[in-house]
Amino acid sequence: MLRKIHCIMMAAGFTLLARTATTWACAVCLGGESDSLTDGFKASVLFLMATPYLVVGSIVCGLIFNYRRALKKREKSETLEPIGHLAWNQEDSVR
Amino acid sequence: MAKSSTARKLDDAPLVQADRRPAFGGGGPPAPPVRPNTPIANNAWLAVLMLLGAEAMFFAGLIGAFLVFRIASPVWPPPFQPRLPTAVTAINTLILLASAVTIRLGMRANQRGDRARLVRLLLWTAAAGTSFLLIQGFEWFRLIHFGLTVSSSVYGGLFYTIIGCHGLHVFGALIWLVVVWQNARAGKYTRQNYVGLQTCGMYWTFVVGLWPVLYGLVYLY
Repeated sequence: MLRKIHCIMMAAGFTLLARTATTWACAVCLGGESDSLTDGFKASVLFLMATPYLVVGSIVCGLIFNYRRALKKREKSETLEPIGHLAWNQEDSVR
Repeated sequence: MAKSSTARKLDDAPLVQADRRPAFGGGGPPAPPVRPNTPIANNAWLAVLMLLGAEAMFFAGLIGAFLVFRIASPVWPPPFQPRLPTAVTAINTLILLASAVTIRLGMRANQRGDRARLVRLLLWTAAAGTSFLLIQGFEWFRLIHFGLTVSSSVYGGLFYTIIGCHGLHVFGALIWLVVVWQNARAGKYTRQNYVGLQTCGMYWTFVVGLWPVLYGLVYLY
């Protein structure tokens, strides 16, 4: 029963979102849907919404790239010693 | 057996004796010595990465403000405002991009152990950065003379704010670069110790990479 109510509420929410005339009203810019100032705000908001994802994604990619480069550098070294891994076998469990 | 599956090497630190206790019932041969954990990314490198993220968001805010006024205006640049020197600034852009190449080549030279080449390339980078700032400053004087000031219009305010902030960042990066150049002359950077050089290179690359975006938006769009 609760699940049905949740489904109905979600359907109502998506229906509201689909009504563009309702959702495009902006209380700050006091402009209509086709006003150039509204277009300016829309572009700016979209850009500013996307930027944090780009920034954080770049940082994460940088960290992953650095990690993989460090692994490759260490795998080229002659003495291979395991560290920080789980003890999968009897040899590694003896510590 | 053990080393092929999940074993990973994470650092090059010297080996230390581990406290070896036998497993249940004794087990097989003793485990290899354990290396102490060392981080993969240097702290300074990580800190500069976070700084660059914050700087990127700062300039994103300025660009967002520019977009609002640019798109909202039916005519851009507004009438009776001086036109920006796009051609001279295009050449200036190439000079700044060349400085990013020289600092990257300098970092590679340091990895090869070529200190003289590193010092020379850092000097070229600083010279390119200085000429960029001087040309920008000269063009600013001309624009002020023609009537484009911070208070003349929104156009002037946006231009000087965005380009001025970038210029301040280049100036700060230039001061950092001069300090790094001095350290390189003193032989401070080696193949193993190059964090100061690396972080300066990151910041310089950031301010250089940001400039074409600002040039395209403010001068050309």
